[in-house]
Amino acid sequence: MSILEAKNLTKYYGEGDTLVKALDGVSLSVERGEFVSIIGTSGSGKSTLLHMLGGLDNPTSGTVIIDDKDISGLKGDELCIFRRRKIGFIFQSFNLVPSITVYDNIILPIQLDGKKPDKDHIDNVIETLGIESKKNVLPSKLSGGQQQRVAIARALASKPAIILADEPTGNLDSKTSQDVLGLLKTTGKKYNQTIVMITHNDEIAQMADRTIRIEDGHIFA
Amino acid sequence: MFENKTIARLEQMLDAAIDGTFVESDYDESRLSRLESRWKEFLGSSVLSNQNLETERHRLETFISDISHQTKTPMTIIKMYSELLREEASRDDKASLAKIQKFADEICRQNARLEFLIDSLTKLSRLENGTLSIVPTEGEIDKLIKTSISSVASKAEQKKISISYEADSSLKASFDMKWTNEALINVLDNAVKYSPEGGNIRITVEQFEVYQAIHVTDDGPGISEEDATRIFGRFYRGSSVQQEEGVGIGLYLTREIIAKEDGYIKVVPNDKRKGGELVLYLKR
Repeated sequence: MSILEAKNLTKYYGEGDTLVKALDGVSLSVERGEFVSIIGTSGSGKSTLLHMLGGLDNPTSGTVIIDDKDISGLKGDELCIFRRRKIGFIFQSFNLVPSITVYDNIILPIQLDGKKPDKDHIDNVIETLGIESKKNVLPSKLSGGQQQRVAIARALASKPAIILADEPTGNLDSKTSQDVLGLLKTTGKKYNQTIVMITHNDEIAQMADRTIRIEDGHIFA
Repeated sequence: MFENKTIARLEQMLDAAIDGTFVESDYDESRLSRLESRWKEFLGSSVLSNQNLETERHRLETFISDISHQTKTPMTIIKMYSELLREEASRDDKASLAKIQKFADEICRQNARLEFLIDSLTKLSRLENGTLSIVPTEGEIDKLIKTSISSVASKAEQKKISISYEADSSLKASFDMKWTNEALINVLDNAVKYSPEGGNIRITVEQFEVYQAIHVTDDGPGISEEDATRIFGRFYRGSSVQQEEGVGIGLYLTREIIAKEDGYIKVVPNDKRKGGELVLYLKR
């Protein structure tokens, strides 16, 4: 059963002579619990695709179905709440809130939704990611790799339908990258979490169970 | 009035769940909307656990058919050589001792293969159903590597393969000594099997903040990028190595063991470098 499905997605910018087809008929499907990487060079359309899959931008045509819901029909606030409940994001730039502690960052999406955090689950996630000792410090006190581990914990904490990771190791050196990817891979399996990761790097893409290649707005399996 | 509307919606939600067609109607900050999302989450996880049960059942089925398939070949060969042996022996004075020796050797070889297979399968099933559990504790990597090397030393010697490793007793990781030893022996065993006569196997440890990586590199043909994701499948064997002896369960067992310790295993494909390289990442 697929948790994420994209059908015939297109995204065009400009018109006439300046028409750019960033995505040109992309279809893909991701099963529950799968770790999939989408690999492409810069300008291949991979970031555009991730934005469509995460409801951060609207496609010119085509549909995105997440957890059985066609998100093309959702507007403004609704889409925002949908993202908060269903999608865990991991960005290249970590995107932690600098003024609150690591622990508060991790439970922030859950609290924003007015839910009670599942303490056992969260403690387990924090321990698995090896950040127990950093729980009560501010993100600025952490190294880049540690901050990204916090971002992974934040994405896992709310048990989202899917985690979208956009070049998660783009700001990290190769050794730290290996650590972060290893944790992403092992925690994904441990918590049965679906992960879609965007990257331009072959070696990084190989950490996933399955690789999808995108070039010039088209997909090659 | 308001109450009736809510009850009606709850009833609808229940009906849709029974049909397996439930999808949230709205996403807003109301309690009902939040309840809908949680309802969906709960249904998703119960579908998932049903699905897991189904997968588990299917896995057991293929496991059993794999076992019967894998045991058939050595059994057939043993049967065949036993008959040849009996035939040769019945020729009394004309019997060739060399032939008898050869047949007996072959029977022994197949017997060893069966033994290894049954042994691995027993371990695997105990591991998977939790009869034997893996308990990672802090341990010395040096000790792990040295014990594993000593287990394959005689096999390596037969092929004049040298194993190089620079001892460093300060490195620690979190692992189950007995099982991880098993895992590493499987990797080294493969390296010995696929290395050419007189080759060299190198073991190095690389430290990360979260993991300790044990690299095992050999002079063998290595693993192609295409095979890289498949070699950890049960009974999978690389397309180019079909004629080599082996049953294709070692690396599968290895991956299961390492995964139970929150670690993982990676192949460096042979288009990146010459020879074979496997890396075990153990949690620190």
